[in-house]
Amino acid sequence: MFKNYLKVALRSLNKNRIYAFINILGLALGLAVSILVFLFIKDETSYEKHWDGYERIYRTGIKADMMGQKMDAPVSCSPMANALRTEFTDVESATRIQTGRQEILMRHDQTKVYIQHIAQADSSFFNVFNYEFIHGDPKTALKESNSIVLSEETKQKLFGDQSAMGEVVNYDNRRDLIVTGIIKEPKGHAHFSFDLFISDNDVKNVWINNGWNTYLKLKKGADFNSFEQQMKTNFMKKIEPDVERFLKVSVDEFFKQGNAFEYQLMPIKDIHLYSHKDFEIQQNGNIMYIYVFLGIAFLVLIIAGINFMNLSTARSGKRAKEVGVRKVSGASRKMLIFQFLVESVIQSFIALCLAYILVIVLLPGFNNVLETNISLLNEYFSQTLLFSIIITMFYGLFAGSYPAFFLSSFKPISVLKGDFTKSKNGAFLRKALVVTQFTASTILIIGMIIIFKQIDFLHNKDIGFKGDQVIIVPIQTDQMADNFRDYKSIFLKNSHVQSVSRASFFPGDLPNQSMYALEGSQEQLPLWNMNVDYDFFKTMSIKLAEGRFFNREQDSDSIPTFIVNETAVNNLNIKNPLEKRLGTFINNNGDVQYGKIVGVVKDFHIEGFNQPIRPMVMRISNYTWFTAFKISPENASSTISFIEDEWNKLEPTHPFRYTFLDKKFGALLRQQENFGTMFLFLTILAIIISAMGLYGLASYTAEQRTKEIGIRKVLGASVSQIMNMLTKDFIKLVLIANIFAWPITFLLAKNWLSNFSYQIDMPILPYIFATVLALIIAIITVSTQAYIAANSNPVNSLKYE
Amino acid sequence: MIKLKNLTKVYRTEELESTALNQISFEINQGEFVSIMGPSGCGKSTLLNILGMLDKPESGSYEFLGKEIAQYNEKQRSEIRKKNIGFIFQNFNLIDELTVFENIELPLIYNKINSSERKKRVDEIIQKIGISHRSNHYPQQLSGGQQQRVAVARALVTNPSLILADEPTGNLDTSHGNEVMDLLCKLNESGTTIVMVTHSAHDASFSNRTINLLDGKIVSEKESKLSQAAV
Repeated sequence: MFKNYLKVALRSLNKNRIYAFINILGLALGLAVSILVFLFIKDETSYEKHWDGYERIYRTGIKADMMGQKMDAPVSCSPMANALRTEFTDVESATRIQTGRQEILMRHDQTKVYIQHIAQADSSFFNVFNYEFIHGDPKTALKESNSIVLSEETKQKLFGDQSAMGEVVNYDNRRDLIVTGIIKEPKGHAHFSFDLFISDNDVKNVWINNGWNTYLKLKKGADFNSFEQQMKTNFMKKIEPDVERFLKVSVDEFFKQGNAFEYQLMPIKDIHLYSHKDFEIQQNGNIMYIYVFLGIAFLVLIIAGINFMNLSTARSGKRAKEVGVRKVSGASRKMLIFQFLVESVIQSFIALCLAYILVIVLLPGFNNVLETNISLLNEYFSQTLLFSIIITMFYGLFAGSYPAFFLSSFKPISVLKGDFTKSKNGAFLRKALVVTQFTASTILIIGMIIIFKQIDFLHNKDIGFKGDQVIIVPIQTDQMADNFRDYKSIFLKNSHVQSVSRASFFPGDLPNQSMYALEGSQEQLPLWNMNVDYDFFKTMSIKLAEGRFFNREQDSDSIPTFIVNETAVNNLNIKNPLEKRLGTFINNNGDVQYGKIVGVVKDFHIEGFNQPIRPMVMRISNYTWFTAFKISPENASSTISFIEDEWNKLEPTHPFRYTFLDKKFGALLRQQENFGTMFLFLTILAIIISAMGLYGLASYTAEQRTKEIGIRKVLGASVSQIMNMLTKDFIKLVLIANIFAWPITFLLAKNWLSNFSYQIDMPILPYIFATVLALIIAIITVSTQAYIAANSNPVNSLKYE
Repeated sequence: MIKLKNLTKVYRTEELESTALNQISFEINQGEFVSIMGPSGCGKSTLLNILGMLDKPESGSYEFLGKEIAQYNEKQRSEIRKKNIGFIFQNFNLIDELTVFENIELPLIYNKINSSERKKRVDEIIQKIGISHRSNHYPQQLSGGQQQRVAVARALVTNPSLILADEPTGNLDTSHGNEVMDLLCKLNESGTTIVMVTHSAHDASFSNRTINLLDGKIVSEKESKLSQAAV
């Protein structure tokens, strides 16, 4: 019996190759999308889970609101980890690290390698995070000062196949470090990934200087809430003396002035998807992407499922006779239902195989676009397989059940006599399905356009500086930093070097924040500061709003003068800024030095567009570790080699490195762009699947109405009248779908746009465009079917029906 | 009115070729009532479809109202058809989704008659046929005889000069069948030309002339008794 079902199923597929192809391909695309999304979500939610006791590990942070300047960062002070280890019974271990963003030159013998991800960590680090040691002891590896622990890869770069334990590695031509451990690459993702660790167990006992990251691991069974309370109270007491020393107010008064400050804890498992604070170690993922992709997968699955149902019923007319014959030959309705379910399950599983082929084909591109490194055959493969089989079974059974029940309900006598008349019951359901399908497609089309409009808007936004033709070169040695002023002229000899400048950082990096105060006022102003040189504004093409730029005649780095940006003037409400003097702490005793504000510049962006522009202050300083060269567009590559040659003469210890400023800043937009590309790809897929479904349904309708079309033609209806009649109904459905899609998309898009500090006004055009596009797609797909139906000879449909 | 000369129609499938009509020639005059008889598969329906311009002959000539239309295209045929010809089918071929009134109205819509005129003409014909109380019903709610009367009404509403009927009583019992035949005779008396395909000698006896087909050829042609009596 089963064999007979199988045989009929395969023959029926073979006989209706086009339908079977559309049906199976549509389903395969839907399944492929859901498998990809499953893999992506699995990957994104796997962060930190490889650490022992990861549910008990937390990162500390601070949240503050001072003078209306909000700060929310995962930073902490130097002594906090020690305090956590010694003063709290609930804490199993705590560690403190400090990270830098810059590449550092590491050297062993003659092998020099730039290393990007470096952590200075205290000796407890490996108690909290259980790295697997190939050599060395995690308990003692970072105990001694000048110890260094290398990742396997870094060891390979520096030492090759030689043994490294106990050997000397030089750090930036400054310090010699002894290798005390080699660690394996962790098995899973984390919100940080370090190439090497350097021991740092010195504690600076200042509680309001927050340049570190602290992690703690609670004991098993410890109560998080009570610990959190205890920690907050304890630490608020510890900062009191520092607040009084630096801010010159008591803590009570500080809060009375409307300021806020609190310590926070975040479970590390939440960091990757939920943490978008200032000063993250690396750019984290975003839970929004998970929701969006989940939503898309869901929509695509619905669309593909609806196709499956509609296309299967579309063929029912052709199967009606078979049903009749089977019934007359003794098949019960149950057996027929079973037969048709077997058929649809077989189809779904063929689709599943195809889906896996699609996944294998698409995965490299998917990884490329999202900058992930997901493989199909990872440790979750059994889960992936199970997930895909469940969905496939669901498709086969659920989507197959409608045609199964529908077909098996035919009355044998009437079917055999050729009096097969359509049931009207299904009509409403089918219409509802098409409306659902087109609502989903329209949401995706509008969403896609809005996403691209927003990304385009960010791309073309005035960033306040000009980054093309500016290259950034990091300074590596103190000698270079100290004497760079005198070296400038060497580079300016080349006429293609238009200007040379230095700053403590450039757009694309993270700024620092410090406390300032206007002379005569007790109010502390948290400003983001930047050390620059005299040619900074010229090199960056930053515009002046009022006052003047720095110049060598009027300013020097011994007597401070300041330039602020417009945001600082507006946010901090500084009236007549050019008449004001700004003060800043010059030591840990709370002593203040004042300087004149000489200019206000127009705002320019430093961070990505998810952050608003910060209130900034710039001053002349020789403590600047990045140089910028503005070069002519002509002969750019030979100009860069000229700079490289000269630079290597001046800093022979460190190989020359450079980046283009616009690329560096552009990288901040990349996550959004990747997201947009992926969305575009999934939307196109969804539209294709929708169109395929509509095609199927249109042919179904045409088939159902063959007799009616025949009669109408005999009575004088023209081809265009028939086409009009067939197309009109679908257009109505598409329009209804749009009525649903508009408000849904509006809400979703509004929500998405709120992620940006700078967003487009909600445009109306994408809505109209999507409606028109949906209509065009519907008309094209339906009218081809309608054309065939309208042109068929009515005699055929009227003679034997 | 109709002049056929050496009309041939061949059906081809992938594997075989069958000649449905083989060199048929005859004439039908205005006001005649002609029956076409013959066993199943002899080409009756094919002939009717070609007469009704639903199908194209393979070769030969078909003159309708003095115009040679054998090689007209679909659009041209459709134009002539909707102005001159009404169809009646064995299985009525009413559209299930439309009411009696709407079914009858349909050919008028395709002939671009305005709606007040349409209403007048449909009402008139419904009265005449005696189904005015059913005008808002759907076909499924009517008996076979009533359905066929609606179909006849639909065929008549455009005042065609030619009615083609394909076994109009085939699905009806004797009494309903006779009602329909009466209707056709009355029509014929008022001047409408009728060509009817039938299996029934009884029905054929209502016509002026009977053409017998066998394997796509005319085997005999005779004036029927009734008309002879009339003459």
